[in-house]
Amino acid sequence: MSRPEPHAIERLVDRWAETTARQLARGLSRRSLLGRLGAALAGAATLPLLPVSRVSAAPPGEPAASAPDGIEGPEGDPSSCQYWRHCAIDGFLCSCCGGSHTACPPGTTMSPVTWIGTCRNPADGRQYVISYNDCCGKSMCARCFCNRNEGDRPAYLPPKSNDINWCVAAPSTVYHCSTAIVLGVAADR
Amino acid sequence: MTARPALAALGVVAAASLLAAAQAHGEPISGPRLDYVLHCMGCHLEDGSGAPARVPTLEGVGRFLRVPGGRAYLVRVPGSAHAPLDDGALAALLNWLLLRFDPGAATAPAFRPYDAAEVARYRAAPLANADDERRRLLDVLERSATTAP
Repeated sequence: MSRPEPHAIERLVDRWAETTARQLARGLSRRSLLGRLGAALAGAATLPLLPVSRVSAAPPGEPAASAPDGIEGPEGDPSSCQYWRHCAIDGFLCSCCGGSHTACPPGTTMSPVTWIGTCRNPADGRQYVISYNDCCGKSMCARCFCNRNEGDRPAYLPPKSNDINWCVAAPSTVYHCSTAIVLGVAADR
Repeated sequence: MTARPALAALGVVAAASLLAAAQAHGEPISGPRLDYVLHCMGCHLEDGSGAPARVPTLEGVGRFLRVPGGRAYLVRVPGSAHAPLDDGALAALLNWLLLRFDPGAATAPAFRPYDAAEVARYRAAPLANADDERRRLLDVLERSATTAP
């Protein structure tokens, strides 16, 4: 194909802009335009307030900020599967699904019953007790699937298995994602 | 429909209490309490309340000690009998659990703590249907309460 001349491109862009503008004008009422514009403005104003992990943005060598449950960890991204607390998780990380590793995304409820294990925090080398509460009430998040199974036991040992849908005792049994909440330091054995 | 907001509120309370528990982590968790946290708390919860219709509450668990077969029942239930703990650790866990969730019963003069040998004996016969045995024991307890002078 031969290259179109510059003025031909301009004409094409002109025509595209004109038809698009006309289609928009025909298809959109003034009220809906104002509505969408307003929503976009409000949305843009809210964006900086959303909880965003800035751990990876911290300069190297500096300690990571402590998580909402007060546990400091090594530098690492709580939305990454390799994050130390996720050593025994099996599911979608809530920090990728609009929540965090300690909080459920909006519209879901934390299952009260759960399975509990321990993970070694490389910052101090100690074992921490982690509660892997599932968030329930919306269809599977399907993002950041993480399947690490340290200490996981088969489903015939239910209290030690991460293959169980722990939403069984939540208001809705539909599984959405998993958290990793530190309950405390485990004494050395 | 009307139950949903209540259940949702319950979930929020559960999440809040979990976080509160998480914040009080100065002292390392050790001994029988660590065994409770690792092997029981996931279902029976921090306060022992369990989940209605799914996980029995541990509140007043000492009443089982007052009925024949009840002392064995606490060891023969799946959560105890199949816990990945040796007999001594399970005995210590049960003694801790009774004191934690039913201090009245565990400090009564008649209270006799479990030991490894006793736990081993009961554990050899785990319950195939813990729900039925629980109902039977509670029924006996109730009847003895109504016939008591």
